[in-house]
Amino acid sequence: MGSGFLLGFGENGWGPLLLHGAVMTMAVALTGFGIGLLIGTTGAWAKLKGGYLSRGLADAYTTILRGIPDLLVIYLFYFGSSAVLTPLGGLFGASGFISLPGFLAGSLAIGLVSGAYQTEVMRGAYRAVSSGEIEAAIASGMSQLTLFRRIVAPLVLRHALPGLGNVWQLVLKESALVSVTGLVEILRTAQIGAGSTGQPFTFFLAAAVLYLVISSISGWLLRRTEWRLTRGTRPV
Amino acid sequence: MTNPHQPAVSVTGLRKRFGNLEVLKGISLEAREGDVVSILGSSGSGKSTMLRCINMLEVPDEGRIEVGGETILLEKKGGKTRPADLRQLQAIRARVGMVFQGFNLWSHMTILENLIEAPIHVQKRPRAECVEEAEAMLVKVGIADKRNHYPAHLSGGQQQRAAIARALTQRPKVMLFDEPTSALDPELVGEVLRVMRALAEEGRTMLIVTHEMGFARDVSSKVVFLHKGLVEDEGPSGELFTASRSERFRQFLAGSNG
Amino acid sequence: MMDFSFLYETLLTLLTGVPLTLKLAVSSVALGTVLAVALALARLSGIFMLAWPTRFYVFVFRSTPLLVQIFLIYHGLGQFHAIRTSFLWPILREPYWCALIALSLNTAAYSSEVIRGALLSVPPGQIEAARACGMRTTVLYRRIVFPLALRQALPAYGNEFILMVKATSLASIITLMEVTGLAAKLISQSFRAIEILVVAGAIYLLINFLVTRLLQWADYGLTGHLRLPPVSADALHRGA
Repeated sequence: MGSGFLLGFGENGWGPLLLHGAVMTMAVALTGFGIGLLIGTTGAWAKLKGGYLSRGLADAYTTILRGIPDLLVIYLFYFGSSAVLTPLGGLFGASGFISLPGFLAGSLAIGLVSGAYQTEVMRGAYRAVSSGEIEAAIASGMSQLTLFRRIVAPLVLRHALPGLGNVWQLVLKESALVSVTGLVEILRTAQIGAGSTGQPFTFFLAAAVLYLVISSISGWLLRRTEWRLTRGTRPV
Repeated sequence: MTNPHQPAVSVTGLRKRFGNLEVLKGISLEAREGDVVSILGSSGSGKSTMLRCINMLEVPDEGRIEVGGETILLEKKGGKTRPADLRQLQAIRARVGMVFQGFNLWSHMTILENLIEAPIHVQKRPRAECVEEAEAMLVKVGIADKRNHYPAHLSGGQQQRAAIARALTQRPKVMLFDEPTSALDPELVGEVLRVMRALAEEGRTMLIVTHEMGFARDVSSKVVFLHKGLVEDEGPSGELFTASRSERFRQFLAGSNG
Repeated sequence: MMDFSFLYETLLTLLTGVPLTLKLAVSSVALGTVLAVALALARLSGIFMLAWPTRFYVFVFRSTPLLVQIFLIYHGLGQFHAIRTSFLWPILREPYWCALIALSLNTAAYSSEVIRGALLSVPPGQIEAARACGMRTTVLYRRIVFPLALRQALPAYGNEFILMVKATSLASIITLMEVTGLAAKLISQSFRAIEILVVAGAIYLLINFLVTRLLQWADYGLTGHLRLPPVSADALHRGA
């Protein structure tokens, strides 16, 4: 089995590079997920408490972003930024294609796409919190800030966690698309390896296994957290 | 500490409408310290709304509410009435304990955590003191063994007793009970009423919206009967139950087999 | 600033990719459904040697990116001499067939879970009633179980179809000229990325809007038994 060597950590092994790709995948996915969480929280707030205009904007945002391919959004940040930056660069004497770095374009795109899903998750989670629990907190004299920090936020998080876990799995897989920007994450590393060794199956299989491992480990961690946090609502 | 001449809660000229429906049409009511006031009435009479106005869970359109001699400041803006001073309102709410029909225990906290939440995070009292007091309250309502359980793992009667203990740990000057036994299975009602009876005997000031006629007659010092948003009759419970001048109240009693 | 003639030309160009986008989406969902039903039945069979590989299949295809699956089939399989010389090679070297195979295998994994859930949701009492009146298993499935499960699965299935319309865009990465492929080509020629992408996005939105409408219509037709009965004058009179 030559391929064992090929993917190993020996002199000519691709192990270190693939591992580096895995770290990059997690970095871009986590950053994108974080951006999405910010957008999602804002979007949910707009949908729940906003006025006519902000509700309409949030609705348009979630409808559009869930209705178009993720690849288009990545292209929008990657090529779209170049449409703005390249002429701008020309003013300063630069020539040729200038664009946002792949990492930035990728995590922004992932953030914008996953934000649409996270908006719905957060909105559903907020609505799942019983109004009685909030009322009891108000009746005890809590200030808005304490109410949010001690009661609303923990309860919303508990309800949101399963949904956020699903979005995370989506984001992880979506991050493979960022390879089109040339960002050297798992899939791009595999493409380079496939090209330079002529063993594409080996490398793409290795990529698949890496995604499988990351997805399984994070899924396990999420389930454990969920289990710990929902002690109070589980039947004994 | 109890001064029987001091009004603990006084409500004057309370009006409240929801859309086209006027629920409260000018209600006045007073509870002195140590009073146990039962508020009776058929559904739709406005009794729960009245109670929820006392700590501003519903903001009345008109009227005045005094708790412990302090008037809750209200302001009118664009035709809507709202609390003028949120800090004042929060301070008053902290002195008023409320027990809900649906218990409303915080589901992400254990029973003990539920009890010490407001004392620590609203009243800013030292944690150790709150825990000690909370444990005493749990003994008092008879669920000391449930301190580390989550609400979902308790029976309805136990949850309501925990909710009463939660209100007590706030060291309230006044306790509001909003139909505390209506959501319970019949066999669990007794255990909650027993706890409430013990509180009344301690001399606590309590306002209770209830359908438990026997309890209202035996325990309360004063009974108020609401009908369609107005006080139809009121008086010491002994008098009212035996000789109410209100035909409606007599019918109401007959209908509820009280 | 807005160049309407350019937007219009772009629209005309991109619309020529719509048939391929739809062809990929419809065929992969159709192929995927056949496979998904088989997977769901295998999973529910209770036979270890059928259920376990099915679980593994679903797990693998749901935990890895679709693009990796496409690359494995399109670029990967050519690594093996045996495949390159087999009768399958004329198919497996075509980007269209590789995209179609990858999309079908992928959607089958997701839909099999939808179908499994729908099959499990069929009330046991209704199955018992069918058995009690003497139905054979095949008739039972054809007349009772599948129709009930279909009604249950339809909303989730519609969602899966929209996801597949979006997923067909990945076929552009292996050179297929569907809507996204044409958009990428136009971008490389004109560098007017934003306008082109907005037009492409609008096309996908329109397709998905029409699909959603179509599904709502189908759902309404199939779920008459879940709606309230027509209100009679008598009920209105009593305020019911």
